Amino acid sequence: MRIVRVLGSAAALVLFGNVAGAHAFLDEADPRVGSTVRAAPREVTLRFTQDLEPDFSSVAITDASGQRVDAGKPGVSGNVMRVPLRPIGAGNYRVTWRVLSTDTHTTEGTFTFGVAAP
Amino acid sequence: MKTCLNVLMAVLAFVAVAGSNAHCVVGARFFPATLSVDDPCVADELSFPTIASFKNGDDPSTRELDMAAEFSKRITDNFGISIGSAWTQLNPPGGSNVHGFQNLEASFKYQFLTEPARELVMSGALDVEFGHSGSGAVGAESFSVFTPTLFVGQGFGGLPDNTRTARPFALTGQIGYAIPSKSWTTSIDPDSGDTTKELNPQFLTYGGSLQYSMPYLRSNVVDLDLPGFFNHLIPIVEFQFQTPVANYHGSGIGTTGFVNPGVIWIGKYFQVGLEAIIPINRASGTSVGVLAQLHFYLDDLFPNSLGKPIFGNASASAKLALGN
Repeated sequence: MRIVRVLGSAAALVLFGNVAGAHAFLDEADPRVGSTVRAAPREVTLRFTQDLEPDFSSVAITDASGQRVDAGKPGVSGNVMRVPLRPIGAGNYRVTWRVLSTDTHTTEGTFTFGVAAP
Repeated sequence: MKTCLNVLMAVLAFVAVAGSNAHCVVGARFFPATLSVDDPCVADELSFPTIASFKNGDDPSTRELDMAAEFSKRITDNFGISIGSAWTQLNPPGGSNVHGFQNLEASFKYQFLTEPARELVMSGALDVEFGHSGSGAVGAESFSVFTPTLFVGQGFGGLPDNTRTARPFALTGQIGYAIPSKSWTTSIDPDSGDTTKELNPQFLTYGGSLQYSMPYLRSNVVDLDLPGFFNHLIPIVEFQFQTPVANYHGSGIGTTGFVNPGVIWIGKYFQVGLEAIIPINRASGTSVGVLAQLHFYLDDLFPNSLGKPIFGNASASAKLALGN
């Protein structure tokens, strides 16, 4: 029966104890993940499920040849990360991100978006 | 003083950069806690409760209800211990109900390979079922069973972009060898007084899961703008088998197992899973059952206490701080 008491205590702790952050997963992006947009965006915006640590969160945007097209360091505010883009044309682009949530969980991911020919 | 400050800053910087993956996040891939087989990671988590109802393989088949709990704790970043047990109720046709606890089980697991770029993770574990810790009335054995087990998880995120709708798929697998602490068990028939000797076979245990991650689809492949509920789903098929490989001749025991199709809903702090239990043959069961689980991510609920390893990666921190 001791195991029941231990598990019961753990369950109570989980259900009623103080809670904190969680992993920062990508919630939505602009341009949208996997989309093709008509007009070339001036920046890429990533919104995560948790607040980020700015100094340890990064993003890189590359074109089809692997050349970086992001311009400058990304800005982080809460759970949103923005990075400006150099002028880009039609084509496919890859966004690669790695972030650290405020409770020190790292996550990373990658996706593509396209810019349609005029 | 300045040296101490530099060391402290270096340690803090390392901790921040290294971060922590805790529950099964490997690169862009999140492997959920599976219901009937184990996931391939070490984590701080609590499955409470796991409920299964099915008609088992006894002759005649008996309606069985299991309610289980399992608590997993990381000792270091890559080594963890799990402990759990199940309460079982048996309703034999025409007979009276019996109930009691199954044997206590523990697992000592080491996650020895984590490759985020390849979405690949591997672990090794020693699973132990402690004999005599449960009730014989519900089938708990009087002997212990030791099962060295290998776990693997592989995401398909590395597939080419032209097969992108397949990238949310992932496979997990496990294979183990179950060794009982006694080769046979003797019992005395209360009516005749005869002594009978029953072999305790060694089993190959194997299984895994095929899963399709809707969160992965939305975050890494294409955002279909589906309603939020669907973006949290991972449709899954789990399969679990055991085959006697030694010390079983003449016992009539063969391969048994289950295939469990279902779905897992992923939240920030917990997940909920629901699966059907489909026996693969008569010896496994006689009808489709149901399996449900509520599972908590302790590393996300309590990142600074219950949800972190007891011993952190101090050696690596010190190494970095010393500039090696």
